[in-house]
Amino acid sequence: MTSLAWRMLRHRPGSSAATLLALALGALILTAMGVLVESGLRYHPAPVRYAAADLVVARTDTTFTSKDFAGEINRSTVALPEGGTVPAALAGQIRELPGVAVAATDENIPVVTAVGVPLSGRGWGSAALTPAELVAGAAPQRGDEIALGGAEVGSRVDLVVGGVLRTYTVSGLVTGDAVFFTDAQAAALAPHPGQVSAIGVRAAPGTDLDDLRTRIAGLAGDAHVLTRDDSGLAESSADRAAAGLLIQIGASFGGYVALLIIFVVAATVGLSVRHRRRDLALVRAVAATPGQVRRMIMAESALISVLAGVIGVPSGLAAAHWLTGELTTRGFLPAGFPMLPGALAGPAAFAIVLASAVLAGLLAARRVSRIKPAEALGEAAAEPAGGGRGRLIGGLITLALAGSAALAAVAATGQTAMGAALGMLYLFVLAVSLLAPWINRAAARLLAPALRAVFGTSGYLAAANLRANARGTATVLTSLVLAVGFGGSVWFLQNNLERQAVAESRSGLLATRALVAPAGLSDSAVAALRAVPGVRAVTPVRHTTVLATLMGDGESVAARAVDPAGLASTVDLSVKSGSLAALRDGTVAVSRTQASMFGWDLGEKVEMRLGDGTAIHPEVVAIYQRGLGFGDVILPRATVLGHTATNLDDEILISAPASADAALRQVAAGHPGSALVDTAALTGGLARDLALSAWLNRMLIAVMVGYTVVAAANTMVMSALARRRELALLRLTGVTRRQVRRMVNAEQIGLLGTAVVLGGAIAALTLSSVVRALTGNLVPYVPPLGWAAVLGGTTVLALATTILPIARLLRVPPVGHIGIKE
Amino acid sequence: MMVQHEPAVRVEGLTRIYPADGEPVRALAGVDAVFARGTFTAVMGPSGSGKSTLLQAAAGLDRPTQGSVWIGGTELSKLSETKLTELRRGRIGFVFQAFNLIGALTVEENILLPLRLAGTRPDQVWLNQVIGRVGLTDRLRHRPSALSGGQQQRVAIARALASRPDVIFCDEPTGALDTNTAAEVLALLRGVVDEHGQTVVMVTHDPVAASYADRVIVLADGRIVHDMPQPGADRIAEHLAALGRRRAVTGAVTSAVTGSVTGEGVVR
Ligand SMILES: Nc1ncnc2c1ncn2[C@@H]1O[C@H](COP(=O)(O)OP(=O)(O)OP(=O)(O)O)[C@@H](O)[C@H]1O
Ligand SMILES: [Mg+2]
Repeated sequence: MTSLAWRMLRHRPGSSAATLLALALGALILTAMGVLVESGLRYHPAPVRYAAADLVVARTDTTFTSKDFAGEINRSTVALPEGGTVPAALAGQIRELPGVAVAATDENIPVVTAVGVPLSGRGWGSAALTPAELVAGAAPQRGDEIALGGAEVGSRVDLVVGGVLRTYTVSGLVTGDAVFFTDAQAAALAPHPGQVSAIGVRAAPGTDLDDLRTRIAGLAGDAHVLTRDDSGLAESSADRAAAGLLIQIGASFGGYVALLIIFVVAATVGLSVRHRRRDLALVRAVAATPGQVRRMIMAESALISVLAGVIGVPSGLAAAHWLTGELTTRGFLPAGFPMLPGALAGPAAFAIVLASAVLAGLLAARRVSRIKPAEALGEAAAEPAGGGRGRLIGGLITLALAGSAALAAVAATGQTAMGAALGMLYLFVLAVSLLAPWINRAAARLLAPALRAVFGTSGYLAAANLRANARGTATVLTSLVLAVGFGGSVWFLQNNLERQAVAESRSGLLATRALVAPAGLSDSAVAALRAVPGVRAVTPVRHTTVLATLMGDGESVAARAVDPAGLASTVDLSVKSGSLAALRDGTVAVSRTQASMFGWDLGEKVEMRLGDGTAIHPEVVAIYQRGLGFGDVILPRATVLGHTATNLDDEILISAPASADAALRQVAAGHPGSALVDTAALTGGLARDLALSAWLNRMLIAVMVGYTVVAAANTMVMSALARRRELALLRLTGVTRRQVRRMVNAEQIGLLGTAVVLGGAIAALTLSSVVRALTGNLVPYVPPLGWAAVLGGTTVLALATTILPIARLLRVPPVGHIGIKE
Repeated sequence: MMVQHEPAVRVEGLTRIYPADGEPVRALAGVDAVFARGTFTAVMGPSGSGKSTLLQAAAGLDRPTQGSVWIGGTELSKLSETKLTELRRGRIGFVFQAFNLIGALTVEENILLPLRLAGTRPDQVWLNQVIGRVGLTDRLRHRPSALSGGQQQRVAIARALASRPDVIFCDEPTGALDTNTAAEVLALLRGVVDEHGQTVVMVTHDPVAASYADRVIVLADGRIVHDMPQPGADRIAEHLAALGRRRAVTGAVTSAVTGSVTGEGVVR
């Protein structure tokens, strides 16, 4: 069977190549995504900071427990975005335990050198955990002494610690790249009073570590007791965040691609089977059982997919390599992040592609078992033009579902609407694919007069063909609609989000100036700014992340913590209900999107956790519109004090007349690393940040849209090549080559028009319901060039992929195609 | 070959109605016929009279709307599609009107295809004999597209003979052949009946071709209107001409060339 399948494939290089291309591209994308997921999942932080500790007590994540409908306990564990802490007092209790030689607390104090290099500040007591050893000099003894590497003993060093410039004397040189203060100084500078980031334990020689671990765990409450190998988990590292990002990108995107691949492969394999109806019927007639024909088709699919894997997987590995480079240069990945070579991702992608091809073959083969052997004898191997009743009913049901999803999307707000809109997009495309035969026929009937008027005889023939081939062109219509609908909505969604975020941020910022510092700003800056004459209001802002449960899963939500005093003069969040004046410790303001997604109402006490895992129950006192520009949750600064990694402010918004600029600049000068900027620059910065993250989204979306476009092109080339016999017959009956070409153009224009109208309608509906949900505007923004790209691109695609193959067919004299080949 | 008393093929009350957009087409309107072992039957009749339909139903390629078909002792309507195929593979050979060959395969592979699908070893002596008689010994490695119409038809006959089936159905096997080649093909068919006791049922428009048969059945509008021992080419031609005149009188629009016949209710 396999060798027969192989011969069949080689005999139809065109359609085999199309399927091969679709599958190989799929394998490429899946492999690349798989490498990201694999590297993310199998990333295990190497112990560095606690390499000399036997055990480390730390809180690295937080777990949400909930009961689902069935009463089963559902646990969702989320890494803590601001890093967890443990009580400093715990170290004392651990020290009392038998077998403990050293129990040292460890702080993570944000330190920046005068030239802006960030360092990790620690207490000298934790040096033993790494170990950081003295190379020269002595350990710090006094509050203004430090030990670090790369300086001279006795020299004075300027450091910005906790947002304040301080001068220290170097008492000793150590290995590693941390700055060591005295333990007392470290405790004073620590961002979390009374809490430490971790406690490291060194056991006395001969102690049973497992037993000690159990005993410590008994004291530690919900903090983890990590072994040395796992202690990397307690380090807040950019690598860990990157690993999470990789999993997120790869999994969500890879999932979409897997679906697309199944759809595309099913379409191309189905089409190649459809075009071979006569051959297959003949094989049936000369004594192949339906099972044998099915096996042959599946063997064909499997052969192609193996070939596709051989081509696609190595290219996917190369693509992953390229992508890693791009992600690193754009700052999504820290340099030197350990990417894996894809030992699992490659085979997995191979397996997925193979499975989806065999599945598609199985589906197509099911149709073949319905081919009667007697069909081999017909003069024209035409199949019935209409689809089956089941298909019609299925299509109508899907359409109804899509319609109700559309209603839901229009009625809902926020994230619910986004989900509904994307579901609607898929449902509409599915409905179109099922109803395509009827849509094609109706369109042919509608367009016939126009085609006849414009193209004359050729138009007449074109309309007749469109009507007769309504079912054969279903795949072409579907893939065109998919390309237009997908490209037109998902791509522009990104534009709308960016534009809206920048617009919200711009119109919502009443402050004219802002003091910004990448390393953070201390309270002294706020006080200094408030003291400047003429300043009307000063609002310190912290960017943080809170966690809340959505259907049992812990979700991260972007949040800002602000000082509510004078907030009304610095920002306008466009409050829809409630009032920001009521914002104080124990309350929260949330965006409309957030409120609708999590089902929060005004006046309700809601559950959430701060970035370090602390549970809070604030009351919702305001619901505002401008979530894209300012984050979805606004907390009073008092609530997060001591609960963020640096415990510093990221920016300070200032409402002041221009005359105060000189004085403001002086405050900036007093806080090294900070700069006074126009708030317009702030929105500009936001736009740049968005553009950066948009690069990733754009690239992923471009790959998806590109894939649907390739799929559409494939189906059109295949359909065009399958018409050799029909076109030869036409030419033999006296239709000139020019007329044939015009006929094909007319058909393609009819098909294209239908696809653009349907795809455009679906895209517009999707886009406007998502945009309305997020921004309140009903009319989405579509850049003019975008329109041109979608419409022009589809037109060029449709014409090129049909006209070029047809032109090739027409170059051969018609009798050449009349023979037994099809 | 087993000695059996039942006929090679028997059809009873065979009716085939093709659903159509307008009025359904009744291609066969109750045909009864018995084809004895070791006989050569010619099926004739005007275009559109249901000859191909009869052959396909009798060969188990198509399922009749009503009536039954026996191949040897087996009634076909009770068989699953797979069982039916297995029966066809072992006991029936078929040569179609056109488009007989699979373009992806060489001549030899086309001939061997049914055996390969059945997973049986070809009988090399028999095969060489068959290939020699259809005169294709030096074309075995060619693709069908490189053969003339007549050569393609001969490949199809070789394929039908390859598995030594009990019954061979041929739908206008000589339609595309010149007189000499046609004579060779017909002699070949006559030979398998005389020398190997196989049964041949052949549709043809050509009275000369029909004269190779033992018996001639004439169909018109889905019914058997004549069933006679082969009376010689001239008499066959007369019968057909008479049939044509009768149809013209009853007003049916018949075109032997285009086959555009409205078969409904012409002969009653
Ligand atoms: N698949 C089909 N669908 C609908 N009608 C059909 C189909 N096949 C055959 N017919 C109709 O059935 C009737 C008998 O057709 P059939 O092919 O058996 O004729 P025939 O005697 O073999 O003619 P010819 O000598 O031209 O080959 C014709 O009227 C034909 O139009
Ligand atoms: Mg016929």
